[in-house]
Formats: sequence, C-alpha cells, structure tokens
Amino acid sequence: MSRAAQGLRAWLLQRFTAIYLAAYLIVVITIIFRTEAFTYQEWRSGLSGPWMSVSTTLFALALLLHVWVGIRDVLIDYIHAVWLRLLFMAGTALVLLGSLLWVMRAITLAAMGTG
Amino acid sequence: MAEKKPAPKFLNLIKIKLPPGGIVSIGHRISGVLMFLSIPFIAWEFDRSLESEQGFRGVQECLQSTPVILLSVILAWALSHHLLAGVRHLFLDVDLGVDKNCATISAWLVNIGALLMAAVYAASLL
Repeated sequence: MSRAAQGLRAWLLQRFTAIYLAAYLIVVITIIFRTEAFTYQEWRSGLSGPWMSVSTTLFALALLLHVWVGIRDVLIDYIHAVWLRLLFMAGTALVLLGSLLWVMRAITLAAMGTG
Repeated sequence: MAEKKPAPKFLNLIKIKLPPGGIVSIGHRISGVLMFLSIPFIAWEFDRSLESEQGFRGVQECLQSTPVILLSVILAWALSHHLLAGVRHLFLDVDLGVDKNCATISAWLVNIGALLMAAVYAASLL
C-alpha cells in the first residue's frame, strides 16, 4: 500500500472507531448513571451477557486502534529523534496491547464463570 | 548574502493568545494523552472488579478515595472535551460549520461545554 493510502487508512480508521467509541460510551454511561448502586453479582452478570461482553471487547479493540493513531500523531509531532520516537511508539504499543489482552481476559473469565 | 537574522522567539505561553479553535485543538491533544495514560490503570481496576467480590469492594473503596475522585474529575473533563471536540471535528470534515462565525461559536461551545460537563460530574459526586 502506498504511503498516501496508509495515511488515508489511518484517517478513516480514526473516524470510524471514534463513532463507535462515542456511541458505546454514551449508551454505557447512561446505563451506569441510571442504575442505583449495583452489587458484584449484578456487575459481573451484566458484563457477561453476549451483547455487553462482545460490545465491550469491540470497544477495547476500537480504543486500541484509535489511541494508536492519535498517540502516533502526537509522537511524530513532538519527538524528532528517531530512536526516541521509536522507543515511545514501542512503549505505547506494549501498553495498549497489554491493556487490551488484560481486559479481554477479564471479560472472558467473567463470562465463563470461572474468574 | 545578507546576514541571517535570528529566528524570533516569542514563546511566552501567557502572552500567546490562542483563538478558541486553537484551544479546542490543544485541549483535544492533552485530553487524549491524559486518557491514554489512564488506560492501564482502568484495565487493571476493571479486571480486579470482575475477578472476585473482594476485588470489587476494593475497587469501590479506591473510587471513593480523594485523589482518585480528583483524577476522575480531570478525566471527566478530558472525556467531555475529547468527545465534543471530536464531534465538532467530524462536522468540519464533512464541511458543516466551516465558516468563521460558525467555527468560532462551536469552538466556544466545546471549550465551555466540556468544563460544564466536568462541573456537573463533580457536583454529582457531592
């Protein structure tokens, strides 16, 4: 893929993920604020259903892609030493992938009822 | 060849007057980076809250401590600003609200709206 197409792909990815992230957050924040204090059992079973577990995993994945594009832009703008920029990019990728897998593991274990 | 003039240095951040759209833009960046930095901690606490009843209570206690409450208000601003600025950005992408008047008004709405949303969130905690 050409360099220009790569840029367009990142630009589109940023916008499509943004729309999903915004929609998910608005729905979930509304649900949380309309619910009175919930118990551990309610919290866990609420996140274990097919809709919530799949949409939340998708949220984490969309968030990873969105943050990657955004932080990469910021690093390219402010960090000019190539080795340092690569170091920060590698750190960012590690934090994002680690967090994604951490969340997916938590949701999967909760949904299987063995966590 | 004329002698090279030194580049003008005027980086006094207090004296630089950023237009409202510029505040939206730098705020979008700062809020994004702040939320990125919070991701590993949120992932950690999310896991802890699901893992066991004990962990769930631990997270509830953590959420009620003063420093975490202060951080959550900052994150509430960050999310509000990022979301509002993002929606404004998407409208500008499709050529809606591009004229100067409209763009200035929407920029003010984003900047003040985000602060108001964070204030409403903070008030809801009291």
